[in-house]
Amino acid sequence: MTAPGTPPPLTPDDVRTVGTPVDGRVPDVAPESAWDDRRLHYDLVAPANRRKFTVIVVGTGLAGAGAAAALGELGYQVECFTIHDAPRRAHSVAAQGGINAARARKVDNDSVHRFVKDTVKGGDFRGREADAYRLGQESVRVIDHMNAIGAPFAREYGGALATRSFGGVQVSRTYYTRGQTGQQLQVAGANALLRQVAAGTVTLHTRQEMLDVVVADGRAQGVVVRDLVTGEVRAVTAHAVVLATGGYGNIYCKSTLARNSNATAAWRAHRRGAHFANPAFVQFHPTALPLMSQWQSKTILMSESLRNDGRIWVPVRADDDRAPGDIPEEERDYYLERRYPTFGNLTPRDVASRAARERIDAGYGVGPLKNAVYLDFADAVQRLGRATVVSRYSNLFHMYEQATGDDPLRTPMRIAPGAHFAMGGLWSDYDLMTSVPGLFVGGEVGWGYHGANRLGANSLLSACVDGWFTLPYAVPGYLAPLLGTPRLAADDAAVLDALEAVRARTERLLKNDGTQGPDRFHRRLGEILYRCAGVTRTPEGLAQGIVEIRALREEFWRDVRVLGEGAALNQELERAGRVADYLEMAELLCVDGLDRDESCGAHFRADHQTPDGEALRDDAAWCRVSAWESPAPDAADGRFVRHDEPLTFQAVPLQTRNYA
Amino acid sequence: MAVPTSTRPEPDRVPAVERPSAGPQPQPATWVLKVVMAVTGTVFALFVVVHLVGNLKVFLGPEEFDGYAHWLQRDLLAPLVPHGWFIWIFRSTLLTCLVAHVWAAVVLRHRARVARGPHRRQGLRSFRSFQARSMLVTGVVLLFFVVFHVLDLTTGTRPAATGEFVAGQAYANLVSSFQRPAVAAFYVLAIGTLFLHLAHGLWSVVNDLGATGRRLRAIGAAVAGAVGLLVLVGNLLIPVAVLTGVVA
Amino acid sequence: MKLTLDVWRQPDAASPGAFETYVVTDATAEMTLLELLDRLNDQLVEDGREPVAFESDCREGICGCCGVDVDGRPHGPQANTPSCEQHVRSFADGDRVVLEPLRAAAFPVVKDLVVDRSALDRVVQAGGHVAVDAGTAPDADAARIGHETAETALDFAACIGCGACVAACPNGSASLFTGAKLTHLATLPQTRTERGRRAVDMVAQMEHDFGPCSTYGECAVVCPAGIPLSAIAAVGKERMRAFLRGRTG
Repeated sequence: MTAPGTPPPLTPDDVRTVGTPVDGRVPDVAPESAWDDRRLHYDLVAPANRRKFTVIVVGTGLAGAGAAAALGELGYQVECFTIHDAPRRAHSVAAQGGINAARARKVDNDSVHRFVKDTVKGGDFRGREADAYRLGQESVRVIDHMNAIGAPFAREYGGALATRSFGGVQVSRTYYTRGQTGQQLQVAGANALLRQVAAGTVTLHTRQEMLDVVVADGRAQGVVVRDLVTGEVRAVTAHAVVLATGGYGNIYCKSTLARNSNATAAWRAHRRGAHFANPAFVQFHPTALPLMSQWQSKTILMSESLRNDGRIWVPVRADDDRAPGDIPEEERDYYLERRYPTFGNLTPRDVASRAARERIDAGYGVGPLKNAVYLDFADAVQRLGRATVVSRYSNLFHMYEQATGDDPLRTPMRIAPGAHFAMGGLWSDYDLMTSVPGLFVGGEVGWGYHGANRLGANSLLSACVDGWFTLPYAVPGYLAPLLGTPRLAADDAAVLDALEAVRARTERLLKNDGTQGPDRFHRRLGEILYRCAGVTRTPEGLAQGIVEIRALREEFWRDVRVLGEGAALNQELERAGRVADYLEMAELLCVDGLDRDESCGAHFRADHQTPDGEALRDDAAWCRVSAWESPAPDAADGRFVRHDEPLTFQAVPLQTRNYA
Repeated sequence: MAVPTSTRPEPDRVPAVERPSAGPQPQPATWVLKVVMAVTGTVFALFVVVHLVGNLKVFLGPEEFDGYAHWLQRDLLAPLVPHGWFIWIFRSTLLTCLVAHVWAAVVLRHRARVARGPHRRQGLRSFRSFQARSMLVTGVVLLFFVVFHVLDLTTGTRPAATGEFVAGQAYANLVSSFQRPAVAAFYVLAIGTLFLHLAHGLWSVVNDLGATGRRLRAIGAAVAGAVGLLVLVGNLLIPVAVLTGVVA
Repeated sequence: MKLTLDVWRQPDAASPGAFETYVVTDATAEMTLLELLDRLNDQLVEDGREPVAFESDCREGICGCCGVDVDGRPHGPQANTPSCEQHVRSFADGDRVVLEPLRAAAFPVVKDLVVDRSALDRVVQAGGHVAVDAGTAPDADAARIGHETAETALDFAACIGCGACVAACPNGSASLFTGAKLTHLATLPQTRTERGRRAVDMVAQMEHDFGPCSTYGECAVVCPAGIPLSAIAAVGKERMRAFLRGRTG
């Protein structure tokens, strides 16, 4: 890749410095007691005083709607913002498979401890143990609550809640509502939010995009939002701000995320001082649909539950052009079953994605673009009968047929890894507070729980636990000492400064005299990231990515064209702002990948693998979180600063993941 | 290209952006009007079925037919009510239902138009939609027909009635009326219209009165269609019989 | 594949709108309807013309954001399929396709193909929720709920809130939407408690913005979630039940 005369590849030292460590403020007790201990020590706000506090919640997904509704129920004044026209549209709606809960009712030997073990081990020991305990402990109440507010969980014929098992675990702890678990939970949560709107505790602001955080006196005290319909930019102040704005997977352009999911709120908060944890930890979902054409807008996600009954294979021979039905059994390579006989097709996502990528890159890919592997239900149909298989997956089969025109029971599905979930996110301490006091995170925008790889059905859970059962404790704990402090004045210098920054940036985008729309830059950024920071990474590739991203960013600001005006609905302007943020964030993503000199979970570095091609962690050097600080855009030394949070493990001792 | 910004002083609560607002329920409530439509419509449906039974007595000959007419006019429910009273109770009930049905229909149709807005729904293809869309038209046709029908065969008012109209001679009046091809044609048109109106109306009754169960809905759909067809075929037999000379 | 698109352009709610005609020459059969619009917009931006505003998000038929009227039919030619899953293969080379926003008085146009569907949320806000605060719920396994009951509730809870039912209705009625919510919450024992109040409040709010149902049945034809037509009967059923039994039950 390096032509003569060009500088040598970037090294970590070229792009970052190491700063002071950060403290996660985890209670100094055994991890299983941490949450009890912390709740005992939170300050309280008396019921009559609660309405004196205003809390801003940005985002109305499972975490945002839950936090806003729960804080409203407690009596706080909540200002809730969403970019959507309705709270129910948030991308939590799209999760299909289910929600884990350590209720451990069955006799399959599940328990909270086992849940923690699966979560921590699944995350390859790069998340906090105490966080995972809270996740498991509160999971019981999450199911009870979501059931009570209307989520019609699947039931056994006897009337008990039904469960199924999911990738990466050997017990059955995943609760579900057909293939629409996310939708049912999301709608229930959004309806609970609307109940508070009706009650007057929550003011809901739809079609408003958060473009900046107001930080005054070292505390987050407001946000700047743009009304997407009128274009009006205004600031809203409060005593605390909760960001629940989702993950940044769309940075890869073609991802399983919704089109409007974006990283702008998180990135703007980062720019105001919130550290960004482990941005390189992005999960590639093994069962996404492969790209089939240039204009395909996303890689549609097929639920991982398909792997319960489907068998994944590629031809034994590379570049085999035969139709799948013409390839005899002995010429098929069921590579997951071959490499991981214990878990087989149910290996965790990162393992399955990497194995698929490895086969595709080695020339065994199938489909017209040779960019997929087969997921075959022929055996399941033989074993269970067609009717049973159809009843389990009918909506997924229907979705697949809609998208591809193929009947998955006649020809095997074609699947490929697609960018999916961001384990990385804004760094927060045990109380979900970022490095900016008063700025909290909930759900995927944060970094918690999942380490370097998220287990299936843990994302809905983490969003619910954050929103319904963590932030309602933690936010009041922060607010209590502020009793008597007025809301920040609307004409405070910090407010005016943030407003001016947003206004200037918007104007700059609109006035730029370029030739290319923002979508084109986004597509090119996605190509760079899939190539340089995809399923498998190399130091050279990541360094190359940094160089290309810098060049693309420079080209963006030179040549982007944003048609339309600022004082109206302008989707091009929205996209341009988001792509501009991706172009900054992508560099940090590559820097983190280049810096983290090990393989762990979804972050697989080709230079750190076992002879069998498994991820090789370096616990001595890297058993820690990288919480990043970005240089100011005009700084002379444009290097990122890494702050470390060391991780220790008591309940689940460090061990090598082994799914063979 | 300017980006409007606002630093207006913060009120205690940040007002949500103005969007179309909530407001009071229209009066009388739409669901009440729907119930009125359904109940009065059901009364009419029962009426046309009983009317058909009476009509078919034409095939039993003049004595049976005229005797039945006389019984309806004079003797039904007597001596519970004095002779001749029933028919007026009956007529006033039907008239009340008619007024309520037409009033509710007009109010609902107005609300429907307002709720739809200026852009009409395009591209309706199904028979069900044709029926639903034509309910007002079929209703108006039926209203005209009812007026004509009463003038022709009840009051004997010319020119709706023939010159030979004799009060009490129901059979003869019927035959002489249907011997006019134009009247027979209008009658056939009206019966066809009645079928469209009745079949869809009854299906709407099933829905408006809250039949949600699968079996109940299936039965309701079948009954709606069957009653419509029965009334269509049964009533068409009569002008056909008169014009072909079977009834004379 | 060449398609001629008549697209509704309207700068904002206050201004009048009109159709503009565009030609896409390189459409392919596997494109979705919305990818066709993406393609058109890319071309428009290249020509220095403002792209067509339209809504979409998940593009896999679950968020309910998308919804355009295709040749007078909400979402597009294929029944029970959202716009994001309508494919160009439904059209023939050389076809002329008319694209409009979802039409209803309760859905004012925001811009081009984007409409404001907040009237649907107001129906939910009026009563489509359950008065249980966080942390106060009983054990979800304590009440036995039959498999069939849960499945029935889910059939109606599947509504994605896209508003196509309203746009499909010549009367601008939201009966399918409201009935789906009422049925979902009336079917499950744990949410049945507020049944009467919910019916009174939701129907009142629905009637404020939306028209009466005339049993066209068009709503169920376009509904991407396949909500059964019986949902419209639930509106009358639940409302009459509340009238006969009082608001509480």
